[in-house]
Amino acid sequence: MSPRQTAVFVLALAGTQFGSDASGADMRPFFEQHCVKCHSGDEPKGDVVLDNLTANFAEKANRELWERILEQLETGAMPPKAKPRPPAQEQRAVCDWIIAQVTAVKAKLRETEGRVVLRRLNRNEYENTVRDLLGVEVKLKDALPQDSSANGFDNVGDALHTSSFLMERYIEAAQLALDQAIVNTPQPPKSETKQVTLHDAHQVRSSTEKVFRKREDKSVVMFSSSKWVAATLFYIKDRGRYRFSISASGVQNAGKPVTFSVNSGGGGMGGPKAHLVGYFDAPAEKSKVFEFFDHMEPKTSITILPYDLPSAQSVSKIGAESYDGPGVAVDWVEIEGPLNETWPPESHRRIFGDLKQKSAPIFNQSTRVEVVSDDPAKDAARILTAFARRAFRRPVTDAEVKPFVALVAKRMEEKSSFEQAVRAGLAGIMTSPEFLFLRETPGKLNNTALASRLSYFLWSSMPDDELLALAEKGGLGDAATLHAQVERMLKDPKAAAFTENFTGQWLGMRDIDFTEPGARLYPEFDDMLKASMLRETHLFFEELIRHDLSITNFLASDFSMLNGRLAKHYGIGNASGWDFQKVSLPAGSHRGGVLTMASVLKVTANGTSTSPVTRGAWVLDRILGTPPKPPPPNVGAIEPDIRGATTIREQLAKHRQTESCASCHTNIDPPGFALESFDVIGGWRENYRSTGNGKPVTIDGKKMQYFEGRKIDPSDVLPDGRKFANIDEFKKLLLADTDQFSRALTTKLIVYATGGAVEATDQRQITEIVAKARAKNFGFRTLIHEVIASELFGKK
Amino acid sequence: MNPLTDNSPTVTRRHFLRAVGVTLALPVLESFQHRSYAAGNTQVPRRMVAICAPLGIHPPFFFPEKAGRDYAPTPYLETLKEFRNDYTVISGLSHPGVGSTHDSIFSFLTSARHPELRAGFRNSISLDQFAAEKIGDQTRFPSLSLSAEGFGLSWTRSGALVPPDLFPASVFARLFLNGRPDEVQAQARRLRDGQSILDTVRDQASTLQTKLGSRDREKMDEYFTSVRELERRMVVAEEWSRKPKPKVTVPPLQNNTVPADLIGKTRLLLDLTHLALQTDSTRLVSMLLLGTSQVPPIQGVAMGHHDLSHHGQDPNKIAQLRLVELEKMKAVRDFLDKLKKTEEQGGSLLDRTMVFFSSNLGNAANHSTKNLPVLLAGGGFKHGQHLAFDPNDPPPLSNLYVTMLQRLGIGAEKFGSSTGTLTGLDAAA
Repeated sequence: MSPRQTAVFVLALAGTQFGSDASGADMRPFFEQHCVKCHSGDEPKGDVVLDNLTANFAEKANRELWERILEQLETGAMPPKAKPRPPAQEQRAVCDWIIAQVTAVKAKLRETEGRVVLRRLNRNEYENTVRDLLGVEVKLKDALPQDSSANGFDNVGDALHTSSFLMERYIEAAQLALDQAIVNTPQPPKSETKQVTLHDAHQVRSSTEKVFRKREDKSVVMFSSSKWVAATLFYIKDRGRYRFSISASGVQNAGKPVTFSVNSGGGGMGGPKAHLVGYFDAPAEKSKVFEFFDHMEPKTSITILPYDLPSAQSVSKIGAESYDGPGVAVDWVEIEGPLNETWPPESHRRIFGDLKQKSAPIFNQSTRVEVVSDDPAKDAARILTAFARRAFRRPVTDAEVKPFVALVAKRMEEKSSFEQAVRAGLAGIMTSPEFLFLRETPGKLNNTALASRLSYFLWSSMPDDELLALAEKGGLGDAATLHAQVERMLKDPKAAAFTENFTGQWLGMRDIDFTEPGARLYPEFDDMLKASMLRETHLFFEELIRHDLSITNFLASDFSMLNGRLAKHYGIGNASGWDFQKVSLPAGSHRGGVLTMASVLKVTANGTSTSPVTRGAWVLDRILGTPPKPPPPNVGAIEPDIRGATTIREQLAKHRQTESCASCHTNIDPPGFALESFDVIGGWRENYRSTGNGKPVTIDGKKMQYFEGRKIDPSDVLPDGRKFANIDEFKKLLLADTDQFSRALTTKLIVYATGGAVEATDQRQITEIVAKARAKNFGFRTLIHEVIASELFGKK
Repeated sequence: MNPLTDNSPTVTRRHFLRAVGVTLALPVLESFQHRSYAAGNTQVPRRMVAICAPLGIHPPFFFPEKAGRDYAPTPYLETLKEFRNDYTVISGLSHPGVGSTHDSIFSFLTSARHPELRAGFRNSISLDQFAAEKIGDQTRFPSLSLSAEGFGLSWTRSGALVPPDLFPASVFARLFLNGRPDEVQAQARRLRDGQSILDTVRDQASTLQTKLGSRDREKMDEYFTSVRELERRMVVAEEWSRKPKPKVTVPPLQNNTVPADLIGKTRLLLDLTHLALQTDSTRLVSMLLLGTSQVPPIQGVAMGHHDLSHHGQDPNKIAQLRLVELEKMKAVRDFLDKLKKTEEQGGSLLDRTMVFFSSNLGNAANHSTKNLPVLLAGGGFKHGQHLAFDPNDPPPLSNLYVTMLQRLGIGAEKFGSSTGTLTGLDAAA
């Protein structure tokens, strides 16, 4: 039946014939009695008009109005309190009817149009794709507006919208990226090797504070970790890839190494933000050379800063010459670059091949060159066709390239040079919907669409040459070939994007900087700890993939990936420094699995206090896949109180005595209580830290600014009656039934892998994927293969 | 003193019509407006600045106890005492259906329901963009979306975030500085490249549209509409680019590069806004203030603002929070002061500019979105009172938005979740 023939459910009209169940005839009296009186006529309440509501659920606006009605009924917001309540049973029937109609229409839409809605590249994917398409590193992400998420991920087509502002940024981004891929100088910038000492650092030269010891051998010892005395070196002139090496040793630290950090890419005043290169352990009294490579933008630099040493003030009070505390002696720092293998660079030749460049000076660049052509029409067509194939991630027809060739011709007529006109054509291709959207046709994906789905899943970027060529030959239809490609892709460094984006959203790692725990309550928190937390989670995730370890390790594991800083934080072993290794967790460590990782514990707290409600809701959503319903609108959230007189459990107890609250909180709170043994930075605690009441606390002879507050009670009861005394017992209960978790994880993987929501009708397929993975010991890599081999992945 | 030098050349209507093949209802540009206005046109330019403090404003220090005109000022309102009759403080308002999380920021100027739902949320158009659709073409920039955060407050009709301006120095340059001739030339070429590109991809999108299912087609419609809108804006922008920019006598603004400098950044954005309004470069500004987790350089403050907002009733933290928020209020006061002292053809800029200062959180300590702190200054209303609504049964905040839209001269009856205009807030005679 076509939508037009659907019986119209016009509420205000009397005497309309209602036939089938879908027509909603039985529902009509309910609405007439409880809704229409206020929501009709010239002055409808709340501006909601139900006069023209029909039973045609295929019509979107109409369906959305039904969904709003459903929400009002389900939350009890309507009918208003002052009016008579409809009998509960009747109301249930109406709600169920609406749900059934909405579900049926959506299922039908999916049958004809596929599950996944046309997906625009999000800004991460856009930046990565441009990098792989052009072969240049350009930071474009921050120039694009933030993308919205749905179902927990920002690559879901439904939530990715387009605006004129975004289009403007796309054009600008394409032009910017092409500026860097195409070169207009006849020679590469001269590559130089330069060795300097810290004497050249502005901070060392101009500091009046005595925080640096300048030794006779030209080395400089840094004694302070205050950020403003970080040694800033080099001032990059030409964009490109550089090699850096640093020769350093630790001094005056009882034979132990001293750690320092290196940041790179910072642009100082108002320039780009620096990123962490890493923490390095300078061995005691013996210089070691540390080397790294980085892509640098003009006017950026690197900075060196010792880790965990006193403030500049306390060093300068004594004076660096007589200071006898630990320090980092930096002998020299070397830079080599920009490292160009060929000229014009690969990115340029990838577009223009061997086309010659000729002098094309402009007023301030006398040696400037531009690409020229003897046969512009033919060359433009060839260049654009090759480019469009890669940009559209599939073979292209002449007809598809023609408009872009015409664009080039038009710009040349308008007196643009050949190169300028071709640039406009290339930018046009990069603004085209075929580039910006992942085009999939309903039903089974063809090979090239499958290749894109695969590469955006595992790399957050376009297919590489091997994958694209294979897809064009139809090679991905073969299960073994597909499997081999997935194996190859997971081993590729680009798979780091999967780790980062998936854990960034599934486990909330992107929020790691959202709060900064205050120094008064959490003096032990520092940047290295924060960076280490994140790294532990990333490495753990990758370890499960690499060795195909069971996904139950996410719930509880007997190992983790730790460095010295985390080992100290967790009170495990005596490793030191930045380097990570797989560590077997001793009995009683309370660690293992993601729930007890400092990173997760930090992103689920607010920097000051923890809430079992917040953490509990997080566990239900992220781990068990059953996000709790939002609280009813008129219930206030609990106000945290860290003065030490009351605990969150006492505050919540009142809440849980109210029946309407208890129904959800018996589900939400237990996992949250189990995690109460961990503070806002993921440290183990027996007692709360308080700012008012409690016993004084002294650590390593130093009096803390906080007090030992009330004792933690991490015990609770699951809704099914199973009790647990603490986090260890709670994890055991989780492990006793891994089905819910494996379904939840699989669902999240499907959403992320395909950019489309998983709905009720997909549950059967989720069950199948889980069953297959379970039969193979639930290895995480196995699960990824099963996801990719599934119908949900293989069809639009 | 008026730092504006009016040196606009005559613009001919004909200039408009060289375009990219789009038929347009062309706007009246500033120069016409200005001249007719100077010639005695009584239509007063109306403006709006909507500011959001994303970490709330500590309610006990903000809301007066008593409703009406003779309320006793609270510590924060005490800061604004000299403007008592230039603002209205409003309590009780909230956006219906906007849950208690930081995500409420998405709906702050849109009132779209349930931004907190992880299953998916579609935003609607924000107040400033709604107004820009109607009155944006009267100025060189239809609106400015300023932010000290990574995201902003302004959203398009399609539910996409308007990319906010994060760097005051760049905005200053865009508003007031003319580039070198070669830069202007390169820019003009890029603009024309852009127009050709849009021309091409528009055709591609319309071919594509016919091949898609309804849900995909909706996405392609959005793309298509975006292209059309940008084409239209580019035509207007090209026309404006032929007119010299207004000159201001202040030195170019520099970016504030101290990440934690909450107040410095706030003041910079407000200064920039004042310049933009004064030169009539735009009449609509949205502004998201910083919600930093770092320690702001304020005497007596040793913790980050976000951390302080989660005070957990600790008196020490509340005392520090008060210091931070007082500084913020002082920045607002100085902004109001500047607007009031700026004269514009017989009136003060403040009388013609609604300054809406509020937060997406009513109580940041527990992320409550009820009882939002609302201050509305200027704009030519009968001010000087505390309008108190019942937080448990308030009118939607959008009712105030409708009142504001109408004050802008836009005959809107409805915006977002509104049910009417806000009762008790009337325009001055």
